[in-house]
Amino acid sequence: MNKNFLTEIEIKNFKCFDDFKADGFKRVNLIGGKNNVGKTAFMEACYINLNGDEQYYVNSILRVIRQRDKFFISNNLITSHFFKAFFFYKTSLSKTYQKNLTHIINSNVKTTSFVFEKQFVNTNIKYTLNGENNDINILISDIKESIKYNNYPLETNNKVISILPVGISDEIIVERYSFLQINNEEKILNDELKIFDSNIIGFKIIKNSPEIDYKLNGYIPLSQFGDGMKHFINIIISLFASNNGYLFIDEIDNGIHYTQLDKLWEIILTVSKELNCQVFATTHSKECIESYYRTAKRLEDEDITFIELGKNKENKIKAMVYPYDWFVDEIEQEHEVRGW
Amino acid sequence: MVKIIVEGDDDKNLLIALLRDLNLGDKKNFPNYFETMGGKAKLLDFEQEKYKKISKQIELKLNNFTKVLFIFDCDFEKDDKKCGGFEKSEQCFNKLKEKLNWNIDIDYYIFNRNLDYFLVDTITPENKKQCFIAFEGCLKLKEITPNRKPIANLYRDLYPYKPYDFSHENFNLLKQKLTDLFG
Repeated sequence: MNKNFLTEIEIKNFKCFDDFKADGFKRVNLIGGKNNVGKTAFMEACYINLNGDEQYYVNSILRVIRQRDKFFISNNLITSHFFKAFFFYKTSLSKTYQKNLTHIINSNVKTTSFVFEKQFVNTNIKYTLNGENNDINILISDIKESIKYNNYPLETNNKVISILPVGISDEIIVERYSFLQINNEEKILNDELKIFDSNIIGFKIIKNSPEIDYKLNGYIPLSQFGDGMKHFINIIISLFASNNGYLFIDEIDNGIHYTQLDKLWEIILTVSKELNCQVFATTHSKECIESYYRTAKRLEDEDITFIELGKNKENKIKAMVYPYDWFVDEIEQEHEVRGW
Repeated sequence: MVKIIVEGDDDKNLLIALLRDLNLGDKKNFPNYFETMGGKAKLLDFEQEKYKKISKQIELKLNNFTKVLFIFDCDFEKDDKKCGGFEKSEQCFNKLKEKLNWNIDIDYYIFNRNLDYFLVDTITPENKKQCFIAFEGCLKLKEITPNRKPIANLYRDLYPYKPYDFSHENFNLLKQKLTDLFG
């Protein structure tokens, strides 16, 4: 396994995690668990940690805020309580929030921590990256603009990619598709799209617009197709774009028919190995978990884990990380692994 | 949440039927209660990967895992000098328990000789049991396989309380152990 891969993480005072540790991650990692247990928050913590470089770190935090807020919080709610609500909702800290509390996300790759010195309009973030102290002043109004127009420049490490099941822009598709072209692997996407829908002839970028060549109809903008197909395309092109990097896929099977899942996992397992990319994905679906098991076993790919997130009776979030052998054993014994 | 650790699928099938009969546990959860180890030798070997997995689940308090029941065959001393026979089986189990060092309630049940002998002993009425034994003797089945599996399978498939007669007194202790486990 690549020495740069994330193998362990410690999260303190971040979102729903008070004090959390997990280790044993491999090249491909599928995360299961009940609703609101913190699957997406776990991936966000990993994403922020892996962006733990001077030029990307704060942007990665703001990107995570923007990504979540765009879909889950109305812009009008960005008030003095915004950071509190975003970072500590559901935790024991939400009622006793103290500014100056340190939020820690450490991994085997990077050590990162940050403190919001104020909660109000002009917020100072003090942060430490790999032992070095920094601080930055952030205006809430800037973040509001960023969320509203989605155009506030938030450059992050382009080898750490996070994708949601909805909401990819044409610009991002064009940018990520270029990595597929660089690798001369356009055929992979076209072949898979034909299986996805037998009326599809192929995918092309025409004048910076992603288009689908559809039987009888000719080229149709991708925007006219369902979210499931966009998510499918996004996963494949993002995989190529994150070579020698990391890919985080939220709700991997969202909108994707179960008959496509084995093929999708085959592509992920094969391409991530070839391109040295570490993948983390979440799911709620038993079919998706069984497909992951089946495909990894067929390909004899043991560089995988299944991560089961759940809360124990003290209401603390814990991760049971199943390496390949344990995961196979759990599935073959028909044990429930989708959270507890 | 509880766990029942068994040697193999024959044990698991018997115990699922018994849990249904006793109306214990949640039917949807039946597979989650069991851990099949793949034989007695593996069940008594603390270095098995499955035990590492279960140890981790206990450490994380996954499913609020609080009780475990081990069920396995006593087998014969002549076949296994180390852990064969009731006394040595118990000794080997106690060593396993010590090495696992699980901080939860642990209980065990050992089948007299093995599961197949145990089942054949539960055949009633006595004259019917003698028919099975006569059949076994006539075909010299014990010379082919000493574990009585053919005759136990025949019993499971055919007669008289297929697949099991849970009202037989031989099941009493096992029933009590399962009731305590889910209690």
